Amino acid sequence: MADETQSEDQAIHEELVSRAIKNPEQVYDFLFKVTVLFFLIIMLFPFYWLLVLALTPSGRIINMGIFPRGFNVDVFVEVFEMVPFHVFVLNSFILSIMTTVIVLVLGSLAGYVFGRLEFPGRGVLMLTILVISYFPPAAFLLPLFRLFTGNVTVLGVQSPNWFNTPGAMVLPFSSLVLPLSIFILTTFYSQIPDGLEDAARIEGTTRIGALFRIIVPLSAPGVATAGILTFITVYNEFFFSFLMTDGQAQNWAPLVWGILQYQGEFSQFYNLMAAASIIGVLPVVVLVVVAQERIVSGLTQGALKE
Amino acid sequence: MFLTDWIERLSETQFAYLLLLPTLSLLGAIAFWPLASTLRMSLHADKLVGAANIGAFVGLENYVEIVTGQRDSVMGVPFFDLSQPFQSALPVTLLFAGASVVLETLLGLIAALALNREFTGRRWVRVALILPWSVPIVIQGMMFYLMFAPGVGFATPVLSDLGIIGSTPLNDSFDAFLIVLMSDVWKTTAFMMLLILAGLQSIDRKLYDVSRVAGASKLQRFKLITLPLVLPTVVVAMLFRTINAMRVYGLIESISGCGTVPSLSCTVVSTFSSRRYGTSSAIAFITALVIAFVVLIYLIQFARDEQGAI
Repeated sequence: MADETQSEDQAIHEELVSRAIKNPEQVYDFLFKVTVLFFLIIMLFPFYWLLVLALTPSGRIINMGIFPRGFNVDVFVEVFEMVPFHVFVLNSFILSIMTTVIVLVLGSLAGYVFGRLEFPGRGVLMLTILVISYFPPAAFLLPLFRLFTGNVTVLGVQSPNWFNTPGAMVLPFSSLVLPLSIFILTTFYSQIPDGLEDAARIEGTTRIGALFRIIVPLSAPGVATAGILTFITVYNEFFFSFLMTDGQAQNWAPLVWGILQYQGEFSQFYNLMAAASIIGVLPVVVLVVVAQERIVSGLTQGALKE
Repeated sequence: MFLTDWIERLSETQFAYLLLLPTLSLLGAIAFWPLASTLRMSLHADKLVGAANIGAFVGLENYVEIVTGQRDSVMGVPFFDLSQPFQSALPVTLLFAGASVVLETLLGLIAALALNREFTGRRWVRVALILPWSVPIVIQGMMFYLMFAPGVGFATPVLSDLGIIGSTPLNDSFDAFLIVLMSDVWKTTAFMMLLILAGLQSIDRKLYDVSRVAGASKLQRFKLITLPLVLPTVVVAMLFRTINAMRVYGLIESISGCGTVPSLSCTVVSTFSSRRYGTSSAIAFITALVIAFVVLIYLIQFARDEQGAI
């Protein structure tokens, strides 16, 4: 019996090998499917793990393995009962939107200048702006912290105490994201044919009019790309979000602090941490699914067009 | 009306600078001034008591004492005992950036090659693979913290039975380092994949047709066409990622805490929290210098490759 199965196995094995040699495309196809499956599992597993932990009631969470033990949907209500998590998420939304507006307005003007105008100092200025994105956030921290806690005096005027207000986060966010956005917008603006702008100018449109009525609408995809990337970057930011507030929901503390609230001093609420993380990640996941094309073009352009 | 007339009469250069004014004032106040100020503070002594916060001008003393290890006592616990360069923050940062960028480049290349062919559902596979890129750092940290949290994380018993990590990995510097590294590779592989995929798709299809007619095998086609043409993209992507990886802070803070795995940015924040402003700013600038050094190596290497290709 054993011999028979062994020879049978061997026969199947030989058959497979000979088929593979005759038809290599099939092997490539198989390898391709395995690779894609491997990446899908690795990339999606952490999301699944959050779901498993969230749905398992806290009493049964110890040594639970990788499958849910129960279906505790109430956890998504408990999350808000323990910590005002919605306030943290809302704070993050407001901070991200404020930053996006500032970055798009300033970035549109600068992108137009760099993309469409010729003037002395253009190259040097562009390079100077890009250099900012090279420095680590830590190199800006100390002076900005002192500035926003009212410890800097310029010409006898004391700086405002903006610690725990949106300003102390929105301004640093804006200056960190601005270089990349200017870069993306510059490439979009430079691709608009000169003829369109010239025609509008001959028709008697003012410079500013031509910018906002011709150029900006035509580069709407670029503006959308820069806007989406800015929003996601700020929503995901850690450094200044963590260090520029004291972590209270009423003091504009963003998502970072909301999530960290569940790390109790005496007990850990693992299922609540997982549930809060799911709620926190949902907005960006939706954004990625909806705006995939824009994000991909923005990311690849930022790096490739030098 | 007066304003638009005035704008119409400006020369192109004046108009350009007018439009740049808001951007330049914001960046001046929130980026350039802080950089200059950090540099200035790094040349002054720490001052722990009194209202001023900043001590006397000491020149490069902060830098010298940090590099020679005389400031080690104000930083965290050492990690590797490489005679404690900056209490191990330097090797941790370099090792983290190096390992993370190499791993994610390899994985990103494989994923990009797989996604470079047409198949049904490709759009959805691509969405699924770039999802990790969009996850906020704190949630990314939470995911991996929860995989290894004591008593809950399924990964700790499995990996410690295999002898890869200990039984309390989040409190062990080396194990926690591996977890932070794994988490970073998970998140950033998508970015690499996207950039490499864009590079792959810009390759002229005709090159492949010609080589097929000439009888090149699939492997030869990869080595002679795909790799050399996609390499510049890969190098640029690696450069971007290296700069970013060397700033690592939030991920460490949310997985294990800076006390367990100290990075350069961690050390800046911890000395800042203990109000050693001079030391803190000096480490911030040392971080920037270390990154500059690595960028320089990339650029030199890249320039040499370019010359070799011509």
